Amino acid sequence: MDPIVYVSLGAALAAGLAGAASSFGVGVAGAAAAGVVAEDEKNFKNALILEGLPMTQSIYGLITLFLILLSAGIIGGGFRFAQPTTENLVKSAILFGAGLTVGLTGFSAIPQGVIAGAGIGAVAKNPKTFTQGIIFAAMAETMAIFGLVGALIMIATGVGL
Amino acid sequence: MEAVVAILDTTLAVIFTWVAYKTGAYLYKYTPYSYPNARIRAMEAKLLSGQKFNELAESRTLQNFVVNLEDTEYKDYLAELKSYSVEEIERALEGAMAGTYRLMYKILPKRSRDFFGILLEEWDVRNIASVVKAKLANEPASDYVVELGKMLPIVKAMAEAKTMEEILVILEGTPYEEPYQKLLLGEIDATSFETELYRIYHSKLLSYALSRKGEEKLILTEFVRLSIDRKNISTILRAKTAGMSADEIQTFLIPGGTVNLEPAIHVDSLDMALAELDSTKYGPVIRSVREEIEKDLSVLERALEDHIIERVAELDRFYPLSIATPLLYILKKEREVRKLRAMAKLIGDGLNPEEIKHVVGEVE
Repeated sequence: MDPIVYVSLGAALAAGLAGAASSFGVGVAGAAAAGVVAEDEKNFKNALILEGLPMTQSIYGLITLFLILLSAGIIGGGFRFAQPTTENLVKSAILFGAGLTVGLTGFSAIPQGVIAGAGIGAVAKNPKTFTQGIIFAAMAETMAIFGLVGALIMIATGVGL
Repeated sequence: MEAVVAILDTTLAVIFTWVAYKTGAYLYKYTPYSYPNARIRAMEAKLLSGQKFNELAESRTLQNFVVNLEDTEYKDYLAELKSYSVEEIERALEGAMAGTYRLMYKILPKRSRDFFGILLEEWDVRNIASVVKAKLANEPASDYVVELGKMLPIVKAMAEAKTMEEILVILEGTPYEEPYQKLLLGEIDATSFETELYRIYHSKLLSYALSRKGEEKLILTEFVRLSIDRKNISTILRAKTAGMSADEIQTFLIPGGTVNLEPAIHVDSLDMALAELDSTKYGPVIRSVREEIEKDLSVLERALEDHIIERVAELDRFYPLSIATPLLYILKKEREVRKLRAMAKLIGDGLNPEEIKHVVGEVE
């Protein structure tokens, strides 16, 4: 494959997979939020905060997309790996790997949505459990953060910004 | 280089296929319960507290009782009352229960909501048995009809039937036709007829539970088997109190429970039956109410019902996005409605608040 294919796929997978996972996560939590608000409008604020938690993975995906495109020169100049040399192929493959890492770890948004959904229900039953609900849902975030950190290291040390 | 690229592509294809499959399975399992379970948890917060029951017990008149319920979920149903009579209030409470069943059916995922339809059939069984017993005793059958169930129009038609044969025509095509035919032919008595109805109902519940998959199967099967155990234990103890023989008791038992009840059937007295049951998993439940059982068997029935609720609550905690949540809510709601109906009757009978709290029980 040409370096441009690796770079484009890396950027697309980072933002695409993480974004899709976030939408599923928000969807699950959003359905739960709709359920509790249907019973009592007072649940809206707590439900909204919990529902928004799975969105962060899509932000990580978007950050990675920008970094990949910036690093490859697609943003802010000409494409740096246009020649199909071995060095360019390796660098573009590293960018692909970075994008894939963020994309796959972004799937943590789906279980996070499930946890947030269960948390929304628990908070509707007992509002005192709001903080705990946030903490439980935030645990799933860890994997996405690891993925983002790994991708940043890959891009910074393997290719350079 | 091409070989490396081919290996890389294949690896990626395998990873993506696996991720897609797992994600799909995960979403299929949890997404359908997201909305209903969150909504039901919000509804659970509105179940009446012990303090509210205390307030209701202090009502003294049925009018106050209704007024005290105006800030609860029963408000809309009680607004339709024509008079402050026990019968009218009971009907409104039954309406609220029917509304809960309807809501469950509406919001639950297609793959499991039919279970609640079958649960509703228990009210058909109760109604049919009550109507038939009332007819046999020449009592006004419509007084015994609870406004719940899938066959309510049929039940009402039965209550208005002039003859027992007319009921057979009304029941034609339903699963209850055959046992009723046996009753008419004198092959079974009214009690055996009722047992037959419960057998049909429980076998339907059990077959549905066993036809499910994964945790749904586990939760539903456990619930149905516990319900069968509760019914059988209650039957055995009542039969022992009445001095019935083991062979007679066997005919009243419903198959499909979790414990072997044979030893409890073959003993001579209630005490010995309780001792036998003590060695089963229901031992702790029986011991917790041991002293009161001999005076009033309904204490044990309530304790067994609480045990089922506790077990379903455990399953609900373990599987928060599953059918355990609506099941637990229905059980709690039924208990609440039963308490309210009892309270309305006792207030109507003029009992004082302390007596009401004692009789209704479990009121904090």
